[in-house]
Amino acid sequence: MKRSHIVLLLLVATTMGMFISFITSTSRSVGFDTAFSDPGVEYKVSGTLVAAHPVEYDAQVNTNLTKFHLQDKQGEIREVWLQQSKPTGLERSESIDLYGHATVEGHFHATDMLMKCPSKYNEQNHLLETDV
Amino acid sequence: MEYIGEWLWAAHIGRALVALGFVSAMVATVSFVRGDISLGRKAFQTHALSTFAVIALIFVLFFGHRYEFQYIWKHLNNEMPMRFVLSAFWGGQEGGFLLWMFWHNVLALLVLWRADGWQREVMAILSAIEMFLGVMLLGVYFGDFQLGLDPFLLVRQAPANLGLPWTARADYLTSIPQFADGQGLNPLLQNYWMTIHPPTLFLGFAATSVPFAYAIGALWRRDLTGWIQPALPWSFFGVGILGAGILMGGAWAYEALSFGGFWAWDPVENSSLVPWMVLVAGAHLLLINKNRKEPTALFSTLYLPVLSFLLVLYSTFLTKSGILGDTSVHSFVDSGILPQLLAYLLSFVALGHLMLLQNVDHRKAFGGLALASLALVAAGFHALGILAFLAVMAAAAIRAFRRDLKTQTEDDALWSREFWMFVGSLLLVLGAIHITWQTSIPVFNHFLAPFSSAFTWAAELTGWDVLNTLAQHDMAPGTDLDRTYHLVQVPLAVLIFLMIGLTQWLKYKNTDIRTVRSKVLRAYIAAAVITAALLWAYDFEWHEVPRVALIYATLFAAFSNADYFVQMWKGKLDALGSPLAHVGFALTIFGAVLSTAQKDIISLNRIGDISTLNEELNNNTDLLMMQGDTLPMGPYFVSYRERRQDGIHVLFDMDYFERTPKSYAQGDLVLAEGMVWQALEDHVASPLFDQDVEDRWNFLPFPTKAQTQRATRWVNGTAGECAFTLSPRIQLNARMGNAPEPDTRHFLTRDLYTHIKWGRVTPPETDEEGWLGGQSSSFAVGDSMFVGGVLLTIDSLRVIRDEERADRGLLDDDLALAACLGLRRGRTVEMHDPLYIVRGNTVVPDLYEAEGWGLRFRIDAFNPADETLDMVVWEHESVRRDFVVMQAVIFPQINWLWIGCILMTLGSFLAVRFRLRQRKTSRRGH
Repeated sequence: MKRSHIVLLLLVATTMGMFISFITSTSRSVGFDTAFSDPGVEYKVSGTLVAAHPVEYDAQVNTNLTKFHLQDKQGEIREVWLQQSKPTGLERSESIDLYGHATVEGHFHATDMLMKCPSKYNEQNHLLETDV
Repeated sequence: MEYIGEWLWAAHIGRALVALGFVSAMVATVSFVRGDISLGRKAFQTHALSTFAVIALIFVLFFGHRYEFQYIWKHLNNEMPMRFVLSAFWGGQEGGFLLWMFWHNVLALLVLWRADGWQREVMAILSAIEMFLGVMLLGVYFGDFQLGLDPFLLVRQAPANLGLPWTARADYLTSIPQFADGQGLNPLLQNYWMTIHPPTLFLGFAATSVPFAYAIGALWRRDLTGWIQPALPWSFFGVGILGAGILMGGAWAYEALSFGGFWAWDPVENSSLVPWMVLVAGAHLLLINKNRKEPTALFSTLYLPVLSFLLVLYSTFLTKSGILGDTSVHSFVDSGILPQLLAYLLSFVALGHLMLLQNVDHRKAFGGLALASLALVAAGFHALGILAFLAVMAAAAIRAFRRDLKTQTEDDALWSREFWMFVGSLLLVLGAIHITWQTSIPVFNHFLAPFSSAFTWAAELTGWDVLNTLAQHDMAPGTDLDRTYHLVQVPLAVLIFLMIGLTQWLKYKNTDIRTVRSKVLRAYIAAAVITAALLWAYDFEWHEVPRVALIYATLFAAFSNADYFVQMWKGKLDALGSPLAHVGFALTIFGAVLSTAQKDIISLNRIGDISTLNEELNNNTDLLMMQGDTLPMGPYFVSYRERRQDGIHVLFDMDYFERTPKSYAQGDLVLAEGMVWQALEDHVASPLFDQDVEDRWNFLPFPTKAQTQRATRWVNGTAGECAFTLSPRIQLNARMGNAPEPDTRHFLTRDLYTHIKWGRVTPPETDEEGWLGGQSSSFAVGDSMFVGGVLLTIDSLRVIRDEERADRGLLDDDLALAACLGLRRGRTVEMHDPLYIVRGNTVVPDLYEAEGWGLRFRIDAFNPADETLDMVVWEHESVRRDFVVMQAVIFPQINWLWIGCILMTLGSFLAVRFRLRQRKTSRRGH
């Protein structure tokens, strides 16, 4: 076997693996309308917390269930059941990415969540703009 | 107007120094390019001095608490201990760039000082990099376009504050209270990891630029082999430092942040790992060529060091431009410098790729095409233009690969060291490509956008769903790490480690494989024995076969290299850097894989009864702990003792007790599986009740009341001696929200890692009489909930009988419904019945207090259709007990990870030293 054959074999195998991993792992970032037309399929939904509804978390009932409402980018509002304890700073989040699936009962069941908070390292001069 | 008390002079000096630094870097670049070395040296020394002066001046401003400067005001406050001033310095983007420039200058001065034959080319490239970094600090505005972030910006000059009334007051510094104190560094960054991780990582980033500069210099001079010797120590220096920096980041995440592990495949982590992998591959190709007369794989040897530096720039772009958006937990928000970061990145991509071409006319032609595509960007077709630019660059690279840098050498022998080093490097690069691909998905969406309609058309034509997905350009990186990363990375890593184990024993040119076979046999057997022992000690499932294979491969690599190290040891460490680094690398991955795959979330256990309430609870990873309760958790009993505040931290003291076996005597009564049992003989409880039930317990079908009351819940152990206390904490952080910080108990063979998932940091709010809560919930018959330590169950609903009316103060015409509530605390059970009263057409609110229980109820609504009621429950502070939700994880064998890190770094530096000495002797030989 020539050296280039071994190299070629490895290249082909890795490329196939990469393709499979990309196809099977990548989910789509959609609105609630798509997610709810397809209950049970994993999607990513981005949106913002709806402040008008309270965030429900009662550790004494279930330590890993947080309920809140999310408004997606198209404006649709749905109840979300997040299978985690209440994330710190949820109320102050600017935007939320949910990973999970829609249920036939009408809520979105999220298994994972990422938040964008107003200040990570950089912060604005809110204080001076408003108070002075 | 003269402002009172400002250090305006410092701003002037600082800006002058920044400008001087930029101009001198430009002069240095031009001089070195034109070959005027003595002017170039002077210009660069001026640049380095002014950069150091800028940094010194900012430190002076920090120590002077000069809050009129925005950078100081944002990152310092009066109460912050001065030991965090370093962290504060690089807490913002400006400081980050300055830190990068600092290391870059130090390394460049070393290059100047050594002044080898490559000085002109290398310094020209390094000065150009410095020039671009200098732009990042200019802070000049062209209309609305901002060029750079000025570290000496005064708060009153910040765009957001321009024109505000207070900026017109001469005495604003003294009269406005906000200037008496700064905002302070984000408390998350106030720890010692923040002091050591960024400087190490940035030194690593800066170190990648030296091999880059040598490679470009070689392409420029078209001396494609002479650069290899001097670039080697720099490459291994970069490998060692960047590797240490990345691992420190992991250690920080594990020790001080609550990510629940040390590696999360976060885009920011990935984007520092990828340049490292490419640099490792490149450094190994340099080694191959150093040991050959005829160069081989010249394209890759030159291209990988170039690529490594370009990936560092790409990493900076991803993390600092804000383009990653929500996919990363720790990227910077957009600070308006995206265009210039992009310009920086694309300029060096162009330089790196055009220089690959030999013919100057070809360079011009490809350069012209690249400029034309950038014109598209300027015209507003951003994605299309950049895509065209990248296509031109790829074309240049392909041309160079097939023509300009083609090497006509014979194939290496199959059992030669260089062949397997080459294959290993190739696999590392493939791994790097895969990680970059998955990390860059948010970037791809931007590129897909212009082709949306074309994909839709193609999807309709072919009916392929994939094309529709592409048309939507809304792809999101997967969250299932096994499929997103491990599926490819684990098999690649298995092959890489098998090669690391084998290749160390191979010789350059060719090896008699029979002699090698006997040498690796020992490592082969030792790894198999240990792997078998691990399979016996830990539970692995069938789908984890690749993971076990990786554990085996890392052990094989570690044993094989350790064996090599011992056999080659002649009292001198000189040439043994590589086996040491390989042992370290193998142990790092071994510790990482084993501790992650076998991590045991011991907080899975729940309070006895609660699991029957809700089946979803069975998935829970978090434990609810009432203050004062002692609960079994994994191999321990744990008790939440108290909450206390210490500075900006609220600490939760958790006592851990050894588990001592529980013994039962004949005749003891227990409750298990909802039934009463009596012990048949004296015995010590087994871990599970099932194991004892056959021989040791007698089921009592009809227990008497006295027996039921005497029965205690069956347990397999009791709390013994208090072994240790862990105090996971919550950091009070007004700016970012409170953040949990873990507390970890380190043992030789495992870590116990605990953190608070939910905890109260202040006493709850109550009304004047001490009632708290008042939350309304909907109940059906049979529903239960915990209020404090009391289990509340809706037993039944009944209509109030006529003879009861007088007692309950009801009128004859009232419609009244009683909800029979069972309240249970420990073994005490009591029934209570708050009322729902309708008088005429209105509901009469009826407040019911359960005497002695500290509970109050009010039924607000009854829905006859599904027989549910809405009830508000209040709890009195006198009965309330504090509780926390915590998670505890055991990471087995994690110490191998840290040992591996140390050995790997040590080995890399031995390799640097060896190569430096080798260079010295070879120079003397000339």
